[in-house]
Amino acid sequence: MIFRAVEDGDLIRQAARGNVEAFNLLVSRWEKRVYNYLLRLTANREDALDLTQDVFLKAYQNLRKLDDAARFAPWLYRIAHNEAYSMFRKRRPESDVADLPPAAAETGIAVGGSPVFPIELSLAVASALERLTPEQREAVTLKIYQGFKFEEMAEILSCPVSTIKSRLYTALELLKTELAPIEARGVS
Amino acid sequence: MSCSPFDLKDYFFEELDGAQRKQVEAHVTGCRACREELSRLRLTGTTLLSLREEEIPRRIAFVSDPVFEPSAWRRWLDGFWNAPARLGFASAALVSAALVVFALARPAPIQLVRVPMPVAQTAPTVQTASESDIQARIDQAADRAVAARTQQLKDEVAAERQRLLMVAAELEVDNRRQHALYMSAAEYGPPRQPALEAK
Repeated sequence: MIFRAVEDGDLIRQAARGNVEAFNLLVSRWEKRVYNYLLRLTANREDALDLTQDVFLKAYQNLRKLDDAARFAPWLYRIAHNEAYSMFRKRRPESDVADLPPAAAETGIAVGGSPVFPIELSLAVASALERLTPEQREAVTLKIYQGFKFEEMAEILSCPVSTIKSRLYTALELLKTELAPIEARGVS
Repeated sequence: MSCSPFDLKDYFFEELDGAQRKQVEAHVTGCRACREELSRLRLTGTTLLSLREEEIPRRIAFVSDPVFEPSAWRRWLDGFWNAPARLGFASAALVSAALVVFALARPAPIQLVRVPMPVAQTAPTVQTASESDIQARIDQAADRAVAARTQQLKDEVAAERQRLLMVAAELEVDNRRQHALYMSAAEYGPPRQPALEAK
């Protein structure tokens, strides 16, 4: 008997034909990553969860428009990015979205005052990430935490690779400076 | 400022190809400053990754509801329009059918066979024949015109001669009549004086 892992491409094709179970399997593979990406953007669990559900609902409705199954991940994160920024605009329509800070507290991501990352290192990292601009933070999230290539990030964020690199490298220099004291104490 | 042949951050983010990565690794082996910079980047990356991912609070799942599901016909139609191969095959089949119908509906066209002719030899022959033909036609026309005019002149001369002969005959008649009058006058005496002279 030959076992073959069911790949995302197979699930996408079946889901595009209306197979809900195939799509549910696809969701189970990606929901944690999408949720954590949106959690980094919104710094709020409830918002991140609501947005994650909206993202997968929109993905299911538009799955037939996806030409290349290999581009599923950038396509899905593009939807997530658009949903998050759409929410930002609805909440502060008079503000420039690029200037919007995340809703996180100074001490880190919190819901009802409870910290998401209670340990010292997590707090330090969360605090350092908070000091970045939303664009820089999103670039770090996509590269460090989600592992996308520059071309995929450019597709998700709909901007040139040079812009992506500029945001990421500037953010990395800032993070190096911010985290240097903690690294010197050997917390890592 | 890094002296590495490629950006150390690109190396750190694994955006370089195999050959470029080997060049950077060879450079870093002998360059202390770049080696330390790369160590700082790795340490920062490790520190950032200490921020673990959270589990999603509530799993997401969809249920199939026939009310909201597209019908089989609708799914087939969507699949048809979103499949370039199917569209291409349908287009080719349509064109083939149109060609068959067109071929059956119209009679076979008459096939014309064109015989190639030497153009270089034909042109002077045609040109010469035309000139001689034209010259012959001109000569014939001129002959016919000259003959007609000659005949016309002959007819006019003959008519004039006939007219002169008639005039001459009339003069002869008049001379004879005058001569007869003269002879009769000589025979019967001089003519009488008018009555006025007698008074």
